[in-house]
Amino acid sequence: MTTQQVVHDDTARRDTTPAAPTPPPRRHRGLTPGWLPWALLAPALLVVGGLLVYPLLWVFSLSVQDFGLRELREGGFHWTGLDNFAEILTNPTLWRTALPNTVVFAAVCVVLTVVVGTLVALLLARLGPWGRGVLTTAIMAAWAMPAVSGTYVWVYVFDTSDGMVMRLLSSVGLADPDTTNWFTDRLAFYSIATLNVVHHGFPFVAVTVLAGLLTVPKEVLESAAIDGAGPWRRFWHITYPIMKPIFAVVVVLSTIWDFKVFTQIYLMPGGSGTDRDLLNLGTWSYLEGISQNRFGYGAAVAVVLTVLLLAVTSVYLRTLFKQKEL
Amino acid sequence: MSALTTTGTAPAATGARPPRVRKRPAVRLAEGLGFVVVLAFSIFPVLIMVSTAFDSRANDGSRALLPSDLSLANFSFVLGEGGFGRYLLNSLAVGLGTVVVSGLLALLAAVAVARFRFRLRTTVLVLVLVVQMVPLEALVIPLFIQVSSLGQLNSLIALMVVYVAFSLPFAIWMLRGFVAAVPPELEEAAYLDGASWPRMFWSVLFPLVGPGLVATSVFSFITAWNEFVFAITFLDDEDKFTVAAGLRQFFTQYGTDWGSVMAGSTLITVPVMIFFIVVQKRLSEGMVAGAVKG
Repeated sequence: MTTQQVVHDDTARRDTTPAAPTPPPRRHRGLTPGWLPWALLAPALLVVGGLLVYPLLWVFSLSVQDFGLRELREGGFHWTGLDNFAEILTNPTLWRTALPNTVVFAAVCVVLTVVVGTLVALLLARLGPWGRGVLTTAIMAAWAMPAVSGTYVWVYVFDTSDGMVMRLLSSVGLADPDTTNWFTDRLAFYSIATLNVVHHGFPFVAVTVLAGLLTVPKEVLESAAIDGAGPWRRFWHITYPIMKPIFAVVVVLSTIWDFKVFTQIYLMPGGSGTDRDLLNLGTWSYLEGISQNRFGYGAAVAVVLTVLLLAVTSVYLRTLFKQKEL
Repeated sequence: MSALTTTGTAPAATGARPPRVRKRPAVRLAEGLGFVVVLAFSIFPVLIMVSTAFDSRANDGSRALLPSDLSLANFSFVLGEGGFGRYLLNSLAVGLGTVVVSGLLALLAAVAVARFRFRLRTTVLVLVLVVQMVPLEALVIPLFIQVSSLGQLNSLIALMVVYVAFSLPFAIWMLRGFVAAVPPELEEAAYLDGASWPRMFWSVLFPLVGPGLVATSVFSFITAWNEFVFAITFLDDEDKFTVAAGLRQFFTQYGTDWGSVMAGSTLITVPVMIFFIVVQKRLSEGMVAGAVKG
């Protein structure tokens, strides 16, 4: 490659950086055949279509069937219309347990994850290279910890008989191991789950927001500071508007993850359905569908979860599209 | 910028307090405090896990921050009698398979959406974004029925195929930013020099998106390595367990073998963690590339 092309490289990079609406790429005109993009896309589309889109449609179709073990073994089709949904919508488990456990938990987790992540990013941006290196390494460790291991550790720490937290609290007389069980109390159970999910989720937000912060031009921030704008105003009037697309992505992804939290609930004592007060939409669907072999009913619960999630995220998505980020 | 920075380092030059340089003691204290709190919160579970794993008395209710009796007993039990070596191998095979297949498919798709203008391009991009919103837990029922009616329960290949599908949308989304950042002029020059288009992608574009491939591979691998729901649903045979499914073996009706649980958890966490930390710069580049370019 010649030097000229390297220079080219630099300009092209700069061209793609601004957040301004970029026109769709119009490249390789006449150099490549028109079917080529479709040929390149075909394998990915086949896999996504066959294993994500098709099963998703199938969930909807299962949800209007009475599909159990018999149908699984012998095949056949038992259309029941909206019976499953009627049963779910009249079931207090939905209104008193699964829905609040899902929605309130997700809302709290998203807010906490994004706030904590953003604060950590702002801190990282202020630290010197040494401090930033150490802290980034530590939060990467939190990020890389599998949900399974993380959940086991929190269960261990909060263990009601021997756990560290119980020992600490009982030694100062704040809790009694004989009468307290965090894992049977809904609020305590979901607080531990929140701690777990936020711990696992904030590094993604911090790293992404930090990367965005580094794209905010320093000159603008510095001149605003010289003009007398405090840190709070600088953040809301300069940093935040520039980073809006990044915040949008971070919020959308956190919402998706936190609405369907499964492993962290399922692996906690009582979370797999033995204590029905602790069910969320994901574990409820799994309990009915897979554990009890009521595939149709479980699918209907899954449909409720999916519709809810799509409704919530479509609001964010619309904002993304308005900003022409695609 | 340099002019401003220079002014900033010499406070006397302007009346205003220079930003960033020479922090007030209160600010320094707040930063230091924040540093310690975030550091402690981040690594606390890791410390507990590792220290319990090395504590041979973990099951006697010792539960301290540091091992009361440092030993490798938990690890040797887990890897020997616990059968954890088998689970590690299974997970490694599934993870590497997922990385290779999903990386290849994602790269091809990313080239298509970043390099070409074609009808339905936006539709494809929206599809990729929207399928990421599908709660995968909602797919466990239809995929279980499908896999079991194909007689493929207990098949690691079936599990891998599912993981490829799960990691693909995010991989495409991320890689498309990296492909877009490579100037098309490079490929055009190669083309004009007589390279065919497969060759122009192979020898010009692919090497330049290497960092992007590293980032997406890490994410695909971790998706497969950590996945729990499908692993416990598809796999029945102890021989076929992946690490996430295998750890449950140490919870018995007689109680939890915490020493083994933590030793197993350490074995599946620490190697991935080290790798993750090593490539962290690439990862954050990947997030931003996926988020804002394209």
